[in-house]
Amino acid sequence: MTMQNDISPDVIEAAVKRVLSTLNGNGAAPAASAPAASGGRLDAKKDYPLAAKRPDLVKSATGLPIAEITVDKVMAGKLSFDDIRIRPETLEYQAQIAESGGRPHVASNLRRAAELTRIPDARVLEMYVALRPYRSTKAELLAMADELESKYQAKICGKFVREAAAIYEQRGRLKES
Amino acid sequence: MAKRQKRFEVLAERPINKDGFIKEWVDVGLVAMESPNDPKPSIRIENGVVVELDGKRREDFDMIDYAIADYCIDKRVAEEAMAIDSLKFARMLVDINVPRKELVRLSVGMTPAKLVAVLRELNVVELMMAMQKMRSRKPPMNQAHVTNVKDCAPLLAADAAEAGYRGFAEIETTVGIARYAPMNALALLVGGQVGRPGTLSQCAVEEAAELNMGMRGFTAYAETVSVYGTEQVFIDGDDTPWSKFFLASAYASRGLKMRYTSGTGSEVLMGYAERKSMLYLEIRCIMVTKGAGVQGLQNGSISCIGVPGAVPAGIRAVLAENLATVLMDLEVASGNDQTFTHSIERNTARMLMQFLPGTDFIFSGYAAEPNYDNMFAGSTHDCDDYDDYLVLQRDLQVDGGLKPVTEEGVIAVRNKAARALQAVFEELGLPAITDDEVERATYAHGSKEMGDRNVNEDLRAIDDFMKRGTTGLDVVRALAKRGFPDVAASVLEMQKAKVAGDYLQTSAVFDENFNVISAINHPNDYEGPGTGYRLTGERWEMLKNIPRAIDASQI
Repeated sequence: MTMQNDISPDVIEAAVKRVLSTLNGNGAAPAASAPAASGGRLDAKKDYPLAAKRPDLVKSATGLPIAEITVDKVMAGKLSFDDIRIRPETLEYQAQIAESGGRPHVASNLRRAAELTRIPDARVLEMYVALRPYRSTKAELLAMADELESKYQAKICGKFVREAAAIYEQRGRLKES
Repeated sequence: MAKRQKRFEVLAERPINKDGFIKEWVDVGLVAMESPNDPKPSIRIENGVVVELDGKRREDFDMIDYAIADYCIDKRVAEEAMAIDSLKFARMLVDINVPRKELVRLSVGMTPAKLVAVLRELNVVELMMAMQKMRSRKPPMNQAHVTNVKDCAPLLAADAAEAGYRGFAEIETTVGIARYAPMNALALLVGGQVGRPGTLSQCAVEEAAELNMGMRGFTAYAETVSVYGTEQVFIDGDDTPWSKFFLASAYASRGLKMRYTSGTGSEVLMGYAERKSMLYLEIRCIMVTKGAGVQGLQNGSISCIGVPGAVPAGIRAVLAENLATVLMDLEVASGNDQTFTHSIERNTARMLMQFLPGTDFIFSGYAAEPNYDNMFAGSTHDCDDYDDYLVLQRDLQVDGGLKPVTEEGVIAVRNKAARALQAVFEELGLPAITDDEVERATYAHGSKEMGDRNVNEDLRAIDDFMKRGTTGLDVVRALAKRGFPDVAASVLEMQKAKVAGDYLQTSAVFDENFNVISAINHPNDYEGPGTGYRLTGERWEMLKNIPRAIDASQI
């Protein structure tokens, strides 16, 4: 990340701890496990916008509460870019809000997105390009589905890529192997 | 003719007669809303799977049919919705006693051919009535293009600031030279937050590059993610519904707002309209968008407007496609974008279709610069039309999303934006913005008044800046360090917006205090006179008070 040069070692250590605690706390797929603090599913009328009505639920990818993302901390070099990334739980909450507002299609997209939060930027971009027409053989797409499922616990996206492989084959949009 | 009739000689010179018109030509898809080759509506569902769509059996589906059948159509309501007579449904659209919610529930049970059959029943006034009711966000808003021929960053920042200050909720840039994209995005990010905190900004370039800038925090949303209505054109656009769905999820996974783009005429221009009407193909795009779970769509022909503009009822079809978008419960950024006519009258008439009912973004590109600087091939309206637009709002008591401003106020925000960007450039090691450039950008009409920057030096610095992994946080730090704490705070708020994800919901924008305004917390509740969005109270006081209006108490 860009700010490495300016950050003191103890800040890096603290950030790493936050990341690890987030990872350890989410052994299961966050999309399926994100608990609403109320015990039930979030409601568009009561809980939206999350930043204003449920700040208790909004944390960054490193587990930092949104209220702790401040200009002072930026100036002190205490924030890394991961501290301003969305985390999968938040996307699941927004999916629940979309659903309760009658928008299941939006919720599905947000749940696929929750899975993709676990994949590095560069790999996400590569996966997108691999899905463009004539870029991948069927075997390559199936390998990508495996990677999504096993390496990133991205079950919905894995299924989605398998489906693409079948349809690309049927419609002649695969790379010649 | 041996002898010309003088009136005809005068008419021949009128701007309207420089426009191109063509009679309907079904074989190439040059037909607006009704081709004899448009399929008849039908659906058959077996075990929860669509096995027939508009007369086509599942084994014959193309990629778009699959995407619509498997991701868009709600199988639980399909049979109920398809059984409703098209004329009856058209009447429900304009009936104030049928709430929006009920129409939205049913619309996802319809096939593309069914939706076309419904829309064909509505004339333009009825389409506008339906738009007023069906738009998903209650207050209508507007989007600006912020570009210039020279990719001159200080001018972009000043124009972005003025656009935000005048009330545009979203601002969009693009490039003359592709490698300038990150610098242009940066100029809009900083300028937009100076003009009005909460202004959303984007930079329209190639898909992967655009996502990359969003991931870094230089942009807040994306829009030019194109979808098409026939498989061949989709492939020629170098995507499939599956790659585009994945891209949509990729944006959301980084907390970035996104909408797709489509529009009537694109399939004709790209040569594969399959002899179908433009509206039928556009409905397929809208349903692919819905299926992707993307919250919104930019349509209204956009860069292909010359095509529907040339055929009979083409501008009616453009309004119909906007309506189909909101009927599918999507945010609509409704065109009035690329120039399509030489006639001012025709230009205004086309714009009124979205201006009068109000849409989520009436323009998806009002040029916040003179037209020669608009890098989206010109827009229907530009910075020289601001006062005309403000008077139209005032005459008709319609909220078109812009507000009256003072010259002093505009000078102040333009200057501050250019200075803020100057500071950011210096802190981030980008080639200096001189005091002379700040001064020129503050007072300029367009890029003709700007000097030339050293393009090679700029491009090398941009490449280096991207390689170093610079992010939105570096911009925050630069602004705070150099005496722009308020702008720093706003840029940081834009980053925090991506952590909370509230603006990923349908039709979301921010007000100047970073309160999100979306279809979730500000749903359109129009149910006839006395309901829905009304231009009254403080907002009307603001819009009616154009600076040139004489105040009797001051005489």
